[in-house]
Amino acid sequence: MSQPADHTVHANPSPLRSALQGVREAIPLLGDYIPVALSFGLVATQAGFTTWEAAAISALIYAGASQFLFVGMIAAGAPLWLVVAMTLLINVRHVVYGPNLAALLPRSRHWPWLMHGLTDQVFALALTRLPQLPEVKRFSWFVGASLLAWSVWIIGTIVGASGGEAVTDRWPLLGEIMAFALPALFLTMVAPRFTDKRWAAAMLCTIFAALGLNLAGWSNVAIPLAAACGALCFYTVTFQPRRSRP
Amino acid sequence: MSSAMWIAVIICALGTLLMRVVPFLWMQRRLGSATGMNAMPQWLVILGPMMIAALLGVSIVPANPSPVSWLATAIGLSVTLLVWRRLRSLGWPVAAGVGVFGAVEVVAALV
Repeated sequence: MSQPADHTVHANPSPLRSALQGVREAIPLLGDYIPVALSFGLVATQAGFTTWEAAAISALIYAGASQFLFVGMIAAGAPLWLVVAMTLLINVRHVVYGPNLAALLPRSRHWPWLMHGLTDQVFALALTRLPQLPEVKRFSWFVGASLLAWSVWIIGTIVGASGGEAVTDRWPLLGEIMAFALPALFLTMVAPRFTDKRWAAAMLCTIFAALGLNLAGWSNVAIPLAAACGALCFYTVTFQPRRSRP
Repeated sequence: MSSAMWIAVIICALGTLLMRVVPFLWMQRRLGSATGMNAMPQWLVILGPMMIAALLGVSIVPANPSPVSWLATAIGLSVTLLVWRRLRSLGWPVAAGVGVFGAVEVVAALV
């Protein structure tokens, strides 16, 4: 996503205009949010949650992968402490997002609640776009972009949960098909790391370990164990740089 | 949902929010000092992508495993990867992967 720097000088740009710019620039994210939110609403109702419970999970936790894990583990009868631990463990990756944006955003007393909108995709968009915007526009831009993503996520969940069941009764394959959005999304998130051999080896080790553990019936521990295997691989496997021939 | 489950949702929500906001505010306060992103523990930087890779490995297993669903998964992931290589975005590769996965499943069901 390479966009020209926005160096248009506005003495005092309207916060509303900056927020609307954020909304407009976050629209491409919706191609990702809508299918996954619809899919989550459907999966949540199939796991026994009501439409409004699914919407509340989306509004409050607002982290796609961990939400799927949350409802999946609840449906599988896992103990609540393990569900909470796993959900938080998956979201640990978020701790590296804030520090990367800290230098790009102005200080504000509103960050404690606005940072709720810092998802993987919003982070990627903000890190790309914020350096190109005048500093005075950045706060409102972030508000617009993150609020659009959050509201579409909640609405998508409600639509998937309420309309999804009627649709899947008529087309039973649809639930299985929509659920494929999840591995497809994760694949697009890990794919950029495959340009580096060390990361690629660790990633492949993690993916196959998780797949194997899940197929062996150890789904509850597959994620942390596989991630630990991958991290171990990252630290132990090194690649010699190729020497150029004389 | 039971009260216990609501409490679990709230703990997950608060925990996730704290993971998003505390490092951000901490770094804003440290800006200008000698230490910066280098202070971030390396294991934390590595663990995030590994967790996503593990989630990919777990989510690859189809809901109803069968030769057809495995084939649809393999084709769907290949298409997702091909579209991602071309566009380097998130939305269209996911939509293309889901579409092709669905097409394989539907064709197999009709045959």
